[in-house]
Formats: sequence, C-alpha cells, structure tokens
Amino acid sequence: MLKIKLGILVLVFGAIGHANAQDLLSILDNETADTPYVPATFKMTRIAFGHSTEVRPKNVLEIFVANRFWNLPTESSQSFVADRMNSRIALEYSFSDRLTFGLGASTFDHLFDGFLKYRLALQKGGDKGWPVTITLFQNASYDSSAIPDQTISDGFSDRVAFTTQVLISRRFSKNFSFQLSPTLVNRSLGLANEDPTSIFALGAGLRYKLGSHVSFVTEYYARFNELESRETFSPVAFGVNWELGDLMLQFMLTNSWFMVEDSFITKPRFNFNFRNPNLNFGFNATYVIHFKNRLKP
Amino acid sequence: MLLCQGAQAQKIIGRQGQVSFFSYTSVENIKARNNQVSSIIDLESSDIAVSMLMNAFVFEKALMREHFNESYIETDIHPKASFIGKIMDFDPNLDAFQVKIIKGTFTMRGMSEDLEIKTKIEPQGNLLVLSGTFETKVEAYDINIPPLLAGNIAKTITVDFIIEHEPYVEN
Repeated sequence: MLKIKLGILVLVFGAIGHANAQDLLSILDNETADTPYVPATFKMTRIAFGHSTEVRPKNVLEIFVANRFWNLPTESSQSFVADRMNSRIALEYSFSDRLTFGLGASTFDHLFDGFLKYRLALQKGGDKGWPVTITLFQNASYDSSAIPDQTISDGFSDRVAFTTQVLISRRFSKNFSFQLSPTLVNRSLGLANEDPTSIFALGAGLRYKLGSHVSFVTEYYARFNELESRETFSPVAFGVNWELGDLMLQFMLTNSWFMVEDSFITKPRFNFNFRNPNLNFGFNATYVIHFKNRLKP
Repeated sequence: MLLCQGAQAQKIIGRQGQVSFFSYTSVENIKARNNQVSSIIDLESSDIAVSMLMNAFVFEKALMREHFNESYIETDIHPKASFIGKIMDFDPNLDAFQVKIIKGTFTMRGMSEDLEIKTKIEPQGNLLVLSGTFETKVEAYDINIPPLLAGNIAKTITVDFIIEHEPYVEN
C-alpha cells in the first residue's frame, strides 16, 4: 500500500516537473515568430511537358533531357524499341532565386529555343500569407528545319515563334497541387491565310503525391482558337514524377511529341488514345548541379 | 556576472542558438545548419526547453533543403521540433566551466525519443553558453526514406549545438 502511495507521489511530482518544462516550451512558442512555410508545390520545373511555377534557387544548373518515343501506324515496322523519337536537351541556369534562363535544342522538329522564367510571387501560409505562386514565362524558338516547299516564306522572322505564359499555382495540401497557365503563342511558319498567328490557350495541371517521393501528374492545354487549315488536338499527358535527390525523373503518356511550348500547344496532329502514332511515351530526366555551397557565406 | 543577475532573473533564454546535423555515409555526406533555435532554462528547477523551426535548416545544396522540408520532415505539418528535459546536478551559481548530463525527450514529427546529452556549460560574461554533441537514430522519427536512397542517409545522425543564454525578462 505504502509502495503504491509512494508511486503515486513520484508520478505526481514527476508530472509537475514535466509541466514546468512544458511551460518553458510555451514561453518559447510565444517568443519565436511563427512563419508558416509552404514546401515545394511541384518540386520539378515541369509538371509533365509544360513548365511549372517552380524555379531553382541562385547558381543552380539543371541539365534537362526530354525524350518522346512513338511508333508509326504501319504494322511491318522493324525499328528497334520505337519507330521515332524526339529528344530535347537543355541547360537551365538560375541567375537569382527568382530568375532562370534556359537554352535547348530538339532533334526531331529541329527547334532551338531559349526561355526566361521569373517567379513573381511565392505562396505563403498564415494570416498574412499569400495564396498562390505566380511565375512569368517567356520563350522564343527558332525552327531550323529544311523547307523544300518554295511557296512557304521561311525568313528568320517567319521561323521564330514566341510563347508567353503566366503560371499560377497553389499547393492545396501535402498531396495536392494545382496550376493554371494562361498562354499566348505567336507563330507564323507554314501557316495558311486563314490560320491565326496568335493562339490563346489555358493550361491546367495537377500533382497528386502517391508517396513521399513519387507523384502522379496530369496536364492539359485548352485552346480558345486553333489552326483552321488542318486539324490539331489539345496536348494532354498523364505521368509519374519520381524524385531521387539530385536526379528527378518524369515518365508520361502523351499525344504530343513536341516539347517546346509553341509547338506542343498549337501543333499536335493526333488526339490522345492508345493507337499508333497517337500514343507517345515520354521520359524527362533532370539533373541538378549546385555551384554554390549554401553553408558557406 | 550571471550569478548576480541570476538571483533576479530565474530564467535564462537563448534566441539564436545554432544546431547542425551531419550524416556521413560512403555515398554522400550531408550537413545542415539551423540558426533559429531557441532555448530557455529555469535556473531554480534546472528544467530546460528547446524549440527549433525545421524549415530553417540550411543545406549545402538548395534542392536538398526542398527535399528535406517536403519529402522527409514535412515541415508544413510538423513545423517545429522540441526538447524538454532537466540538467542533472546543475549548479547555476558556479562561475566556472561545468559538464553536465541533460536528460529529456526530443520530439520531431510527432515522434519522441529519450536522450541523455552530455553538455558543456560555460559562463561567458553575462551569458551562459551550452554546447555539445549527441547522436540520434533516424528510425526513431518515422521518416520515409526510399530504399534507393537508403545508402545516402546515415542510420545515426550526429547533432552539434551551441546556444548562448541571456537573462530572460518577462513581459
């Protein structure tokens, strides 16, 4: 009986000691400013094929390799793995924590492209927070393909195309992020008279995390006007993004073998289904190189 | 110095303490530093409480910080880590270097581990400086490490800390 009483006594006093330390902790909670922090919305600079609002911090170089593989409709194909592929290799460097500059080249559609990406606002939590991340995106591409058709004017200004985007994203929860991308594309190469040179589109993309390092992504661009002289389809992709430290991989199924904004928004010739050549398998690899040790001043 | 003030102020506080952690493996060495660690000590009871903002850890690589916050610690859900404990056989009036054991509970990501930390306690003018090194096991905190990256992250993490305390004035 005495032992039990003693035990209770020890418990009570133990609890008092503990309570005191808890009080100390609540003093600290009042002392430290609570700045609600919103972790990465997409982590990768692409959702699937299109840019996300993410920009890398200063002095970071991304080596970005994107590939699309597809088969021709002919049954008698003897190609190894896939009939056709398109590769885009790009270097993307961050000059500040907000500004990234990138240069890339694509093999199949002979495009050279450059872009500037600037993060205007970052989502912040709390009462004095800000609900969305906003990133401005501007690219220019040059189509270097040989054009045998003499009736098509192919001067430098004809071959250059521009894309302007306002990327707006929100991280709704740990698992769910969503982005809207109002887009204006301006291009003129090979267009018929009735075709618009300016095409307006609204992109939508989302990420749903399947695990701590794996997420499901999907992306779609709805066009408000499109080419009149030939049928084109909105680009769509379903994919899986996988983070492996400095290496980040993206796998996707898409209807577009184009990888530069002005092309994949305006040009896809096939709708999304599982026939050839409509179905493209896409694979993006991003390797991140840090030129600055953030622990050194 | 501290003693005279200690008689009036029964609590001392450190607002810009520094905590670093190290993970050494044959594949990769990871270091991170946090300068936003706060600590408070009740000199009468020798109770100590430490709190730190997890998103304030800075890594050599900027991307590592993003992975740390989003994929490993989930700092939006678990913004702070805390320690509550007691400095054993602490003599607050001793105006000299002393080494004591701090016994307590460290809580991170809602998981707790009991720790015994050997701590150097050194008066420096008006300040009382606590510093030391201890080790903690990653598995105690239910952190999701993908099997492919298991070799990059040490099973045991070494933690360094140094916190300068000044007399705490209650508002």
